Amino acid sequence: MKNFGNENYTPENYKYVGKVNVPRKDAKDIVSGKAMFLDDYKLPRMLIAKTLRSPYAHAKIKSIDTSEAEKLNGVVAVVTYKDVDQNMKMGWPPTKPILGEELMYVGDPVAFVAAETEQIAEDALPLIKVEYEELPAVTNALDAVKDDAPQLYPDLFKNNIITPGYAPFQKDGPFWHLIKGDIDKGFEDCAFIAEDTVEFAKMAAPNAPEAPGAIVRWEGGKNFTVWCDTQSGHICKTLNNIVMPDANFDVRTFNVGGSYGNKQSQVMQVMSALILSMKTNRPVKVFQSKVEQMCCFETRLGSQVHAKIGMDKDGVIQAVKGEWTVDAGCLSNTTQGQVGVGIGEAQLVMAKCPNWDLDTNLVATNKQPAGIVRGYGGQELNSCLSLLIGRTMREGNFDPVEVYKKNYVCEGDVYTWRDGRQWQAHSVNYVKAIEESSKKFDWKGKWKGWGIPTWESEDGTLVRGVGCGIIGNADIGEDNTEAYVRVVPDLFTDKSRVVIQTNITESGMGQRSNIIKMVADVLNVDYDMVDITPPEIKINPTGFGLCGSRGTICYGHAVSSAAEDVRQKLYDLAVPFLEVTTDSMYMTDYGVATLARPGKFVSWKKLIPPDLTLTGYGQHLENFSTPNMFMIFVEVEVNKETGQVKLVDCLGGTDCGQAIDPAMLEMQVQSGIGSASLDTAIYEEHVIDPSILRTMTYDMIEYKWRPFNDFPTYETCVLESQFDTFQFKATGVGEIAGAAAASATMQAISNAIGVQVATYPATPDVILKALEKL
Amino acid sequence: MAKDTINLSVNGIDYTFSIGDNFGQVPCNETLLDTLRNRLNLTAAKKACDEGACGCCTVIKDGDAVPSCMTLLADCDGCQITTLEGLSDPVTGELSELQQKFIDYYAFQCGFCTPGIIMTTKALLDKNPHPTEEEIRDALSGNYCRCISHYHVFEAVNAIAGRPEDLDEKWEGRR
Repeated sequence: MKNFGNENYTPENYKYVGKVNVPRKDAKDIVSGKAMFLDDYKLPRMLIAKTLRSPYAHAKIKSIDTSEAEKLNGVVAVVTYKDVDQNMKMGWPPTKPILGEELMYVGDPVAFVAAETEQIAEDALPLIKVEYEELPAVTNALDAVKDDAPQLYPDLFKNNIITPGYAPFQKDGPFWHLIKGDIDKGFEDCAFIAEDTVEFAKMAAPNAPEAPGAIVRWEGGKNFTVWCDTQSGHICKTLNNIVMPDANFDVRTFNVGGSYGNKQSQVMQVMSALILSMKTNRPVKVFQSKVEQMCCFETRLGSQVHAKIGMDKDGVIQAVKGEWTVDAGCLSNTTQGQVGVGIGEAQLVMAKCPNWDLDTNLVATNKQPAGIVRGYGGQELNSCLSLLIGRTMREGNFDPVEVYKKNYVCEGDVYTWRDGRQWQAHSVNYVKAIEESSKKFDWKGKWKGWGIPTWESEDGTLVRGVGCGIIGNADIGEDNTEAYVRVVPDLFTDKSRVVIQTNITESGMGQRSNIIKMVADVLNVDYDMVDITPPEIKINPTGFGLCGSRGTICYGHAVSSAAEDVRQKLYDLAVPFLEVTTDSMYMTDYGVATLARPGKFVSWKKLIPPDLTLTGYGQHLENFSTPNMFMIFVEVEVNKETGQVKLVDCLGGTDCGQAIDPAMLEMQVQSGIGSASLDTAIYEEHVIDPSILRTMTYDMIEYKWRPFNDFPTYETCVLESQFDTFQFKATGVGEIAGAAAASATMQAISNAIGVQVATYPATPDVILKALEKL
Repeated sequence: MAKDTINLSVNGIDYTFSIGDNFGQVPCNETLLDTLRNRLNLTAAKKACDEGACGCCTVIKDGDAVPSCMTLLADCDGCQITTLEGLSDPVTGELSELQQKFIDYYAFQCGFCTPGIIMTTKALLDKNPHPTEEEIRDALSGNYCRCISHYHVFEAVNAIAGRPEDLDEKWEGRR
């Protein structure tokens, strides 16, 4: 490709962007077993840590005796709350000591043990003698805000309502309550109104295959090297600095075995290893068991919404009034940000609505922490609000596809984002993507109306129904990001390598390779000649990692700008050699040539002083003006005798602006079935025993998940409308692939059986109750 | 009579382990997974659920795909074990056809479950070189993948089973 300049960011000029022509950089490592994950890594003299956990949902430690555990051969340290600074608090605002005297959920850490082997550490746990005073507990957020409820943090919060606002996200002040227009008048103008309380509160588990974990090596003073299976080293550092503000963390990551937004902060893993490392002066590894991951690590947020939604006679939503109660479990892991995004995403779906009064309460309960998961609050709120939007649509007998087309955000619409500021949508319009997706799914052929099955077996036992859902997120431009792109001439050949220096951990989305594609195209070099630095926060400039779908825009923008910067420097250096102005130059064969004087060429190597390199710098500044969109269509089959729901067919539709790697994008689209998304409508849930308040779905046998032999057909419909986002005109979209899938599935189930179902998940007992057979 | 040594072959290399509780010996309750990972440094097989439910630790034992977290080393005397590391050419590193197909068809995302998925598939194909789609799905039903790479895994395995999807056609204009 020649003549690649700023004016030439068009698909026909790309050699790698938009193509399926090179494997991911780590592909060979992954299929050969060479890829390194945290649990594959060892350090000399490394100890293994295990945690003794609370058997009660709320209790006080009356006495604790660690002497027998300490005597066990191979045990190096045992620590309890007595050994830990009680000002080392996790959560936002800082809420809960890393080890406290008061225990807030079943599984809350009581003591940490570091030992020479995992077996010894495990053997030591039952030797710790603890006497507990059981305290009254509350596990439902709506109960927790009542005056007579047990108070978890009476010195900090009243009625267990966690202080709103997360300052780094909301620089103008806390944002938790959206008020716009005249809500009463708005409802007066509505022809169809639905009001109800809807819950999405089963706190499903994202359950990444690789459990959370960390290795910490104390380097003296407040300096720590951290190896963690976090999705984002930067966020891991930031959230751990809440606990220890003056700590100097060097966070390093490996390939991460799934995260789905969930394995980011990892405060308990890092801090427990840190405390033990300081105590023993040895590196300490913490790696949760699957049962710990299921019972003690962050789940999806609980979401209970009482809302009233009004729609006019044309199917345009005119008023939304609601109270959203968000169950954060035992603490807020900056959940205030998720609340802000949830409010924001609701506005994207109902973008023409001028009248809002959407209030929120973030509530602490005696449950394992809930927090950041793919969908980031928006999914949890959408799963509730969409059911009420559906009821207004049914009242008006509207086709949901037509309603979503009318209401979804497009260029010019204004919304309040999670920073509390007003943003105006720029460049995006998704009507065509909705129409094309609908057509490919044959929506018009399958949709028979509200409460009417698409198909029924002859004996009436099996019925099928279709549903659809839409969601979007403007966070795809979130957080400032920077990158360096360095040209490194070979010593003995005329070629040069290119090194991208930016902080991206690979957790499955292929983005490390995708930004290499972008840089290879900007500099017109082979993909194989571009490297990227390891994901470590000290050697790389600021990068928040791939939280949400920010990777494409934020890293794409930063690295493309850095590549352009070094390209311009090379052009400037080439002027004396080519004797033309830079505007006629282009990159070719690891050098610079010019259209003005064909045949003239100078290699980069010649332009750069011997043994040195040339570096370009690029940055992305936070911008919430280009929300993405994902629409999902589902068809389910319900057995009216057994109540079983079978997922038959799906279609995921979007307009991504420009696909960077269409094959990876296809997989991201399909991935909406996973990570506690679509199946939270069918069978995914955490079940808590109401008497002992323990999680019954504590492992991968009890917790229901979709196996290989139970997958539906899945089609994708991806448009590429070249949005004005950054150089390559792409948006990120993977995060939200499943965010509207649960509500769409509930709609499909309701249409199949002809009775509205609003209880997540729609397990057989829920279906049979709806059919009045139970 | 209890044996005090266990002989087995892993990826074509013979090993003898002494069973016992002394330093360096293998305790009788040690799993094959721990032996592979901690003693032989073969870390492709992953410890995830540790109860045979997720398939991330799958290896091939005498031709069968087994969860190595549920297999005691003490029960492997005389067995032939193959792990993912054993599929590539040990000298050149050249990938097997199956591994290459997983790359060609983008059959992974995070890659944590991939070693188990490939080994389950390998055991299936060794016994049944041309499995039906249903046979592939059933064989893999014990392998957990949360990123949802299932559709691309099906494509990769179907390609080996004799039903290749034409990638040039699928990605027309994109290759």
